[in-house]
Amino acid sequence: MSEQDFVVQCRGLERTYHDDGVPVHALAGVDFDVEQGDFVSLAGPSGSGKSTLLNCIGGLDRATAGSVTVGGVDLASLSSSELAELRLRRVGFVFQSYNLIPVLSARENVEFIMQLQGIAAAERHRDAMAMLESLGIGELADRRPGELSGGQQQRVAVARAIVSKPVLLLADEPSANLDSHTTAELLQLLADINRQRGMTIITATHDPAVMAFARRRIGLQDGLIVSDQRDEAAG
Amino acid sequence: MRTSVPVKVLAQLSARNLWRHRRRNVMLLGAIVLAVAFVLLANSLLRGWQAQMLDTVVANLTGHVKVLAPGYRDDPSIQRGFELPAEYQPDLPGLDGWTSRVRVPGVILSERDTRGVQLVGIDPAQELQISFLADVLLEGEFLASPADRRVLIGAALAEQLETHIGRRIVLMTQGSDGRNREAGYRIAGIYRASSESLEKVFVFTGREVLQTLLDSEAVTELSVRLVDNGQRDQARELLQRQFAEQEASTWDELEPMAASMFRFVDTAMLIWFSIMMAALAFGLVNTLVTSVMERTRELGMLRAIGMQPGVLLLQVVMESLMIVFLGVLLGIGAGMLAVYALADGIDLSQWTAGIESYYMSSVLVPVLLPYDVLRVLVLSLLFGLLASAFPAWRAVRVEPLDAMRR
Repeated sequence: MSEQDFVVQCRGLERTYHDDGVPVHALAGVDFDVEQGDFVSLAGPSGSGKSTLLNCIGGLDRATAGSVTVGGVDLASLSSSELAELRLRRVGFVFQSYNLIPVLSARENVEFIMQLQGIAAAERHRDAMAMLESLGIGELADRRPGELSGGQQQRVAVARAIVSKPVLLLADEPSANLDSHTTAELLQLLADINRQRGMTIITATHDPAVMAFARRRIGLQDGLIVSDQRDEAAG
Repeated sequence: MRTSVPVKVLAQLSARNLWRHRRRNVMLLGAIVLAVAFVLLANSLLRGWQAQMLDTVVANLTGHVKVLAPGYRDDPSIQRGFELPAEYQPDLPGLDGWTSRVRVPGVILSERDTRGVQLVGIDPAQELQISFLADVLLEGEFLASPADRRVLIGAALAEQLETHIGRRIVLMTQGSDGRNREAGYRIAGIYRASSESLEKVFVFTGREVLQTLLDSEAVTELSVRLVDNGQRDQARELLQRQFAEQEASTWDELEPMAASMFRFVDTAMLIWFSIMMAALAFGLVNTLVTSVMERTRELGMLRAIGMQPGVLLLQVVMESLMIVFLGVLLGIGAGMLAVYALADGIDLSQWTAGIESYYMSSVLVPVLLPYDVLRVLVLSLLFGLLASAFPAWRAVRVEPLDAMRR
């Protein structure tokens, strides 16, 4: 497999925080690659470094040492403004708490990213509605987040994350605030997006149900990869 | 590809964020409206005072520009007069009226008393175009011509002299040869002016009559009234060229105390505006900082999904400007209504004796200038912009990860 086939490449990735002057090694040298179209779960106990790894890949956090490459771009070489641009155009985020904009409707939330990208009104309106329809929440387009259930809000968050067709979708504990039934629906949605759209997905999770849906399961402990398993039948 | 600034969506977000905390923002809006309305009303009253001040100074025989002989201001006598050709007509842009006068210190005597006064020889028709005599309440008759041998005296002076219309008085002054001269005159009319000091000081007679008494064909001053005070420097320069051997001066050079008060009004307006806006800025900063702190998580998410710091800054600034702009517009409307309601003026007659020295008359009429409205609008928006700087800076400093962990 050539380097171009990897969406993400991490080499000797380290991230050290300082807690009252005491160094805490959240990542202590992580090496791994993610192929185009893969569905990866980063699993491990609290403090294992899975969210830190996800944040470093998404350009929300900077590595102390080592390198992260996303779509062939070395993130260490980017300014914070260029990182924001990368997050806007190439990476989609789904957060644990949905993080929708409360004063905008579901459709406006989905359109928001495209507005930041400068896409024309007619096109973004059409794409946003098509995305909400395809995720089964088209009839909720005019409701604001406060009028939606947790599962519906998370679907809107997924629609917002993928509407502009990023190369990579990052989901940090996407099921943390959902019940088991809604979690199952969300996972099925992510699996469909992965299969039908060929979008690369990386999740950080505690949830065994989420892990079970990923074809590749990477275990982390104390900032190091301790397991890396593949199950092609998953999802 | 760089992200364009999505002004429309930022405006939409700002408007909805303001609406989200409407109770708080309506209170802030009310404070802005009140402050701007008060500032505008205060400005218009100060402008009214300024206009009265200018009118009073110009009408009290000063004019916008006056030509005097060198040394007349220190020694106001007929020896410091100058010849004015009979056919002279000033050719000045924005000329409203003009006159020449003979004005010398003198003494007036009645059967009962004697007073020191200013004797003023006038051309009645021209005088009525430019001086306070046009606005006085007159008992008796006005002077008919420059050759009218009668006099006009003020009501306060008439009271002091215990004299009446039709009675004779004697005027004494120094003639052109330096000798004292005196002559008797009959009182044609008694005038009541806006100020007692005017009534006590000025005694008017025909210009030619006073020239005869003084044995001189000279005048002591040429006074010019303009349509627009802003043209006075140009008029002074033109008159100085025409009367190269005399001194042309503007009213603010002749009346430095009035001029400094006039300028003080401009400063007072700015001070008043700054105090109100500074107080308002605290409220605005406080509200915006609270709003930013409440939305830290949301702002962190916006940064996380790729909003550039500059765009985030613009959004906070836009929120501030929106509420300030709306408040200022409503405030200007309310201020204009207040000015309209007071269009007949505020009666200050209770304090007339005290306010004369401030060049005010008994009724203060507010004057609203478009320039003042525009200045309030522009400076208020500038204050709004400045007030949003700190909250916007705090919003931009939000680190996405820290914010979303909250």
